[in-house]
Amino acid sequence: MTTTTSVSDLVSQPYKYGFVTDIETDKIDKGLSEDVVRLISSKKNEPQFLLDFRLRAYKQWLRMEEPDWAALGHPAIDYQEIIYYAAPRQQEKKASLDEVDPKLLETFDKLGIPLSEQKRLSNVAVDAVFDSVSIATTYREKLAEHGVIFCSISEAVKDHPELIERYLGTVVPSNDNFFAALNSAVFSDGSFVFIPKGVECPMELSTYFRINSGDTGQFERTLIVAEEGASVSYLEGCTAPMFDTNQLHAAVVELVTLDDASIKYSTVQNWYAGDENGVGGIYNFVTKRGHCRGDRSHISWTQVETGSAITWKYPSCVLQGADSVGEFYSVALTNNLQQADTGTKMVHVGPRTRSTIVSKGISAGRSSNSYRGLVQIGPKATGARNYSQCDSMLIGDQAAANTYPYIRSQQPEASVEHEASTCRISADQLFYLQSRGIGFEEAVSMMVSGFCRDVFNQLPMEFAAEADKLLALKLEGSVG
Amino acid sequence: MVAAMSNSAAVAASAWVTTFLERLPAPVGELEAVQWRGREALSRQPLPSRRQEDWRFTDLAALTALAPALAPALAPASEQGRWPEPAAGVVRLWLDAPGDPLAGQSLPAGLSLLDADEVQQALGHTLATCNCEQHWPVELNQASAPRVLALRVSAVVAPTLELVSQAAGDGVMRPVRVLLLLEEKASLEVLQVQLGSGSSLTSLVIEAHLGRESTLRHGLLALGEGPACFLGHLAVEQEPRSLLESVWASHGWALSRFEPRVVQVDGEATTSLKALQLADGQQLADTHSRVEFRGPEGQLDQLHKAIADDRGRSVFNGAVKVPRAAQRTNASQLSRNLLISNQARIDTKPELEIVADDVRCAHGATVSRLQTDELFYLQSRGLSAAVAAGLLKRGFCEEVLRALPAAAAPWRPLQRLLGEI
Repeated sequence: MTTTTSVSDLVSQPYKYGFVTDIETDKIDKGLSEDVVRLISSKKNEPQFLLDFRLRAYKQWLRMEEPDWAALGHPAIDYQEIIYYAAPRQQEKKASLDEVDPKLLETFDKLGIPLSEQKRLSNVAVDAVFDSVSIATTYREKLAEHGVIFCSISEAVKDHPELIERYLGTVVPSNDNFFAALNSAVFSDGSFVFIPKGVECPMELSTYFRINSGDTGQFERTLIVAEEGASVSYLEGCTAPMFDTNQLHAAVVELVTLDDASIKYSTVQNWYAGDENGVGGIYNFVTKRGHCRGDRSHISWTQVETGSAITWKYPSCVLQGADSVGEFYSVALTNNLQQADTGTKMVHVGPRTRSTIVSKGISAGRSSNSYRGLVQIGPKATGARNYSQCDSMLIGDQAAANTYPYIRSQQPEASVEHEASTCRISADQLFYLQSRGIGFEEAVSMMVSGFCRDVFNQLPMEFAAEADKLLALKLEGSVG
Repeated sequence: MVAAMSNSAAVAASAWVTTFLERLPAPVGELEAVQWRGREALSRQPLPSRRQEDWRFTDLAALTALAPALAPALAPASEQGRWPEPAAGVVRLWLDAPGDPLAGQSLPAGLSLLDADEVQQALGHTLATCNCEQHWPVELNQASAPRVLALRVSAVVAPTLELVSQAAGDGVMRPVRVLLLLEEKASLEVLQVQLGSGSSLTSLVIEAHLGRESTLRHGLLALGEGPACFLGHLAVEQEPRSLLESVWASHGWALSRFEPRVVQVDGEATTSLKALQLADGQQLADTHSRVEFRGPEGQLDQLHKAIADDRGRSVFNGAVKVPRAAQRTNASQLSRNLLISNQARIDTKPELEIVADDVRCAHGATVSRLQTDELFYLQSRGLSAAVAAGLLKRGFCEEVLRALPAAAAPWRPLQRLLGEI
């Protein structure tokens, strides 16, 4: 009993990442216009093709409407009240970490993200993004030896413009949806990963996103390309300070795999979720999509969604190459007044493509948690197979669990199976564990982690432990 | 471009509705007030568009292809000649009869007609409870239906009631409206047969109120051919310990859309919904069901089966709502689909909304062709591939058709659905 922390110890903790770093930032005026798009582009000294991409997206965005089909409710967002660019005031990106503002390094240390050399013990390369810009990327030299490019997307625009021009916006076109268009117009930074032909990335790559300003939106863009036979595992973590206003986070993530390549993308999302009365918190409107372009390629999404006031997120796979594989493993936990509408789309285009969907939703408090999924089998996807499972766990009688799995099939030589169940923490299971001397809250926590086991097994080791703890913390004694 | 197209589509849709309304005879008869209301509503809301979530998968092209000059006329007496003789213990009512559908027949014990005042009180009540009184297909029916068959069920009715309606020939609009009030402990079995051919439109609205401990077994056999279209709406209110068994089978319509909506007003009731729809040729078969539990301990058992062959499209959207009051609900929903041809399409979308923690809700969906190991087994026993496939399809359909009232047998539903007649 001494080794494991019980829920009651954890519940008394407030959101521990809720601090604000007092650092001078370079912000532009709030509001969005063509001039703002041009200003962001010029601040980043971007080439003409990228400015054109942004302007085209901005014009498309003006004609689009905010989607309203999700089971979400929030007051209208005033897009003119948001600051679209904020950067901690420091010189050009440093060659050495010694020159980075110590306050920033301290911030990431507090978050448990070691950037300074002596603390980098684990074999993980990290790109740290603070508000709109990337602060530091670790292990770059070691990665470069293998030909792996891992840098912020603004650096990639400068150093590898041909790769950016070739791949940016090819998976999520700028007019894909309202939030993707907004992101395409104003995206500030994010990570770029390129794994050349035949290379297995020697270490885990990771990006850590931090929103610091209260009135800034974060619009990052991530692009990962794995060439023939390459493979990579990528982790993403997110936190934000506590404010009683809502901040907008509209990211776009694009993954491309060529023949025999594989990308594993894991997210532990813990943006500030607002307080128990639903005041404050992040609006997390994210478009994530992977494109299996090559034959026998593989894209796997694993997500643990615990934060954000509102989550609108559907990491998807377009399975174009023959025999390509898409996977989606998700745990979404909502508590208090959080709302999550999340799920995936598996679009089977090529023959013998396979996909697996495992989604676990846990709703507590007065929250609402929806799974929304699409499995589409195109006319050429002969022999395609999909298996989906989505389970919901309800804690308390005021939480909502919704399931909207949608299947469209146009190929008789394909098989699609979907099953779903709803359960709660049953009294007999609790009684059994308690009769064995396990405390009530620890028993709950054990059962929740058992419920999520299928997904946690997919996470890299360090993240799995963190995710387990995070869930226990987030439940905040909502049982009993 | 898209905006321009949808604008012109909207203009065409509203032109269709306008012409339809202009060609309707002046409101008259017992439903005069309802007709006025329905027409006014239709003039305000033109055809549903695919931009509405509820109609996203339903292409109404087959409906608008019908001449808007549809006239709700009563049928010539010759029509019933080709129907099979009703089985023993079955009371058949011809809903489109030029005169009184009851002409020359007395209702079986336990059944009586509602009087005009009662109809006025009860009509639309269940539609409102099910929150669909302003739904487009319902308004279409209200605008055009000249009469309603309104029955009170006050005891256990032994014979099966068979309601037959046929829209035969071009330019026929057949609006059918039925109202059933089941009192406490009453019980009724109904078989409804809807036939359609030519450029015709059948519009069906059934309302049923099930009192405590009452039982309604409702079978609907909807058989169309050619360009005929079918829009059906079943609204049921269930009081505690009542039982609803609804079975629906359809085939052959250019467009069919059936919308069962069930509300368990205080829970504790049992609902069973079974459906089978076949779409081949260029047909579109659509079922949009919604079951809502407003009290605890409700039961739902739903099975939806579909076969899409040739260039047919099958759509299923099944909503189940379990709000906080509906503790200890036990609901299961299964959607099983056979996709036979590679130009056919299946869309299936369950929707579960649950806000109660002590519930059991499960749903499942499968889409595939016939199982190869099952085909292989039959072929290894000496059956040809075609016979084996036919046998498996037959088995797939039987599971639902078996649940139809026994009175359906003379109509030979299996043979009709499989196109063997």
